Amino acid sequence: MELMKRKESWNIGYDHALGETASYFFAQVRDNAQIYGRLDPKSGRVLVPPRAFSDQTLEPTTDWMKVGPGGRIEAFTIVYEEFKTLPDPPYAFGYVLLDGADTAIGGFFRGIDLKNPAQAAKRLALGTRVITKFAEERKGSVLDFWFELEGDGGKSGSNAEAVVGYE
Amino acid sequence: MKAPRVGIIGIGQSEFKPRRDDANYPELVREGVTLALNDAKLELKDMQAVVYSLAPDALLGIGNAERLGVDAVGARNKRFMRINTGGATGISSVITGWTHIAAGECDVVLVAGADKVGESGDSQTILNKIWDPTYERALPLGTITMLAMSAVRAMHKYGLTEEDMARVTVKNRLNASKNPKAHLRKVVSMEEVLASRYISWPIKLLDACPQSSGGAAMVLASEKYIKDNKLDAVWISGVGHCSESYYMGDRMGNKIMADHADAHALGRSFERSYKMAGITDPAKQVHLAELYAPFSNTEYHSIEATGVCKLGASMALMREGHFDLGGRIPINPSGGTLCTNAIAVSALVRAAEVALQVWGRAGEHQVKGAKIGIASGNGGDHQFFGTMVIES
Amino acid sequence: MNAGTKIGIAGVAIHAPQRSDTRSLEESIYAVTWAALRDAEFGIEDIEGIVVAGNDELDGRAISIMMASGSVGGVDRDILSTPSAAEHAFVLGALRIASGQFATQLVVAWSPLEVDSINDALKIGTDPYWHRALPQDELATHGLQAGVLEHAVPGVREAAAAIVRKNRLHGAMAYPDRPLGPVEDAFIASGKPTRWPLTDTMVAPPAFGLVAMVLADGDTIAKRKCGNVAWIRGMGWATEPGFIGDRDLSTLPSLDAAREQAYAAAGVTNASSFDVAEVADGTPYQELLAYEGLGICARDAWSKQVASGTYARGGKLPVNLSGGALSFNPVFCAGLVRIAEAANQVRGRAGSHQVRNAKRAVAHAASGPAMHYNTVVVMEGGRS
Repeated sequence: MELMKRKESWNIGYDHALGETASYFFAQVRDNAQIYGRLDPKSGRVLVPPRAFSDQTLEPTTDWMKVGPGGRIEAFTIVYEEFKTLPDPPYAFGYVLLDGADTAIGGFFRGIDLKNPAQAAKRLALGTRVITKFAEERKGSVLDFWFELEGDGGKSGSNAEAVVGYE
Repeated sequence: MKAPRVGIIGIGQSEFKPRRDDANYPELVREGVTLALNDAKLELKDMQAVVYSLAPDALLGIGNAERLGVDAVGARNKRFMRINTGGATGISSVITGWTHIAAGECDVVLVAGADKVGESGDSQTILNKIWDPTYERALPLGTITMLAMSAVRAMHKYGLTEEDMARVTVKNRLNASKNPKAHLRKVVSMEEVLASRYISWPIKLLDACPQSSGGAAMVLASEKYIKDNKLDAVWISGVGHCSESYYMGDRMGNKIMADHADAHALGRSFERSYKMAGITDPAKQVHLAELYAPFSNTEYHSIEATGVCKLGASMALMREGHFDLGGRIPINPSGGTLCTNAIAVSALVRAAEVALQVWGRAGEHQVKGAKIGIASGNGGDHQFFGTMVIES
Repeated sequence: MNAGTKIGIAGVAIHAPQRSDTRSLEESIYAVTWAALRDAEFGIEDIEGIVVAGNDELDGRAISIMMASGSVGGVDRDILSTPSAAEHAFVLGALRIASGQFATQLVVAWSPLEVDSINDALKIGTDPYWHRALPQDELATHGLQAGVLEHAVPGVREAAAAIVRKNRLHGAMAYPDRPLGPVEDAFIASGKPTRWPLTDTMVAPPAFGLVAMVLADGDTIAKRKCGNVAWIRGMGWATEPGFIGDRDLSTLPSLDAAREQAYAAAGVTNASSFDVAEVADGTPYQELLAYEGLGICARDAWSKQVASGTYARGGKLPVNLSGGALSFNPVFCAGLVRIAEAANQVRGRAGSHQVRNAKRAVAHAASGPAMHYNTVVVMEGGRS
């Protein structure tokens, strides 16, 4: 007897409203190559990426605050495995605490030689200073910017990472 | 008003495998149910309510797949609801079953589910879709990368090493080799783990859980029903949940409420369970723990969240064998999620394994003299946590 | 539930945002959460636990509780999700209080319109083994049920059309600011078939909606001196089997089971003891099945009773004074809206569609293909 299988795939598209807060953030990234956070007055934390309210206090956030372009690495990982619809490995990404922010924002790390994991991990160690780089042509997405090690002097674009754009 | 005591009277779990081409999804659910009913010596008609354990629909490829499971769990015309708290679903489901009985709604509840994680093809791609499309989905986030970052922070904060991580895999595989239900049962050495290829630094292939297929179920009953029918049971003495901010970046930076290196909300959830169970000193009072830890590094912050040792202290204790099967407080004597991960029921299995232990029915992986055990489940991006205390 | 258990609904918010582009879904959920808290005069710190319900495929998130958790105060709290049905979140919220583990619960559900095609999204709920290759989306299953009912009950279509008109008239009065479907007989009758025998005028288009409720135990309500409380007197819920072909679509044994549970707990022996009802009406045929299942009206009297206005405003038992899902159809959470609307009636908070002296109400929610899940809640107003 044959054991059968059926191939199915989900093809559903969505139009997610970003709301005013996120829209402002992305417009600033796109038009001014500037990253903003929002102040949560109750805790005093500047939330990056910004949100209309703090999920800790459930109060609305208030002021827009410019953050970056410098920052420090709070977490990273280097991916060596291939996953469907994700970039070709190896690539490094993680979270950066931008200057002026109290929470970290995610992004790719570029310009680092990733061939030797232990060495790459040392270079990306927590606390390492990074600088935000922006793409020449920006769409208003988190892929419009990435982070490079401070003092690396523009090593981006190395063939160690091939970042696939998302829609 | 004192809530009725709730006992576990039946447990069933499949022998978990990488694929189950011989059974479709509802059939896999039925498999777990049949095993649990046989264990309880009851029939479907005796079940008064069903709590259905099912995590993301996307892993099965069927929207609201619990509807297809209605007959597998014998729920026609019965009370029926489905729970989804991501990876914590299984334990949240057992706790919801507890709630039904504690509320005085009914006397016998069936909690059941199954998963076929391997059937979806690429679970990390699907799990990337749990992140919000506003800011983070464009990044290659997945559960592996997310928890790799937790490891990186723990390395920085506590000096966690890759050897520490490998030690967990070695322990759990050894335990799983004694557990016929586990998926990955092959014993491995430290060298093998350290030599396995990197998936997402520092997590290597052998630091990661498998994609498992199988079903699991439990039958819960009220104390009255258990007494009236002279049944054998173990008891749920404490339950709780807690959750963290969805934003991983908020678990980093300044004025952190919960560090991504730790499992703060898991600790809070255990506090709630302990309070209900009257446990004041877990290090002394708890005999074993089945902690949801799909990656080797996460077993450490889970252990610390139980309160049996301080933050950052679990690595040294692990080195001393404190958490081995024969150790002071065995952690994951079943092999844990690291060796078997059928996501929709993994956390249910944690509770089931603790129940088996305090019942003295854990066979070759039995913890001697176990009377009080704890279980945990994690869900979302390390966001939702459920915990239980189970005693004989 | 445990004898002596008293659970009241102390706050309700039902949102029907006209635009869905000004706020993100998270922000909309945050707004309805706060609206319910303010209605109950609670702060988020008064909430001990939360149950939410969303549909992953409609939301476009693989685990919808993740995104919603922050909005509903989930951080550092005990939060669960029941994606099977929005009304299950209510049921679980009530059980969690009845268990004694919590004194209060917040229940929130939503149904967005961000997916390209709701029908395609919901069609993913059809099993891939036998039926997904067929055009069996949820609306089609409602059509199948309507067709079976037309065969079983002669003259039912007229009653169905009358129910559409009744509910739309109710909706026009209750929420004049919301868009409305056809109200005139001629317009309803001349609709184009969409899933025969359903016409496009017989159902409301999917709408963006959110609903939140605050539940609390008797002690909390007494201590806080909450006014406007709907007490849960009885609750029942049950399910049909998963395959349409396994069912007789002209009957709803799961509704019978849910009704029995709820009525037994509430001590209801006769549906005439209700002052008002909110029942499932994704299609008018659903409302008819609800009449029968709730003991309101057996099928041999449907035509007569509907024609004589028994269930219209001013009638003996007004049903769906809110306008029902035939007026406002937030697909996934429409069932929880029924419970919320019925609660508001006995709370005296139903605004322009308030029934005078509404003391006891029954709410019926049905979700899924051809009323797969059925939930019944009996509520009463008053001090306790």
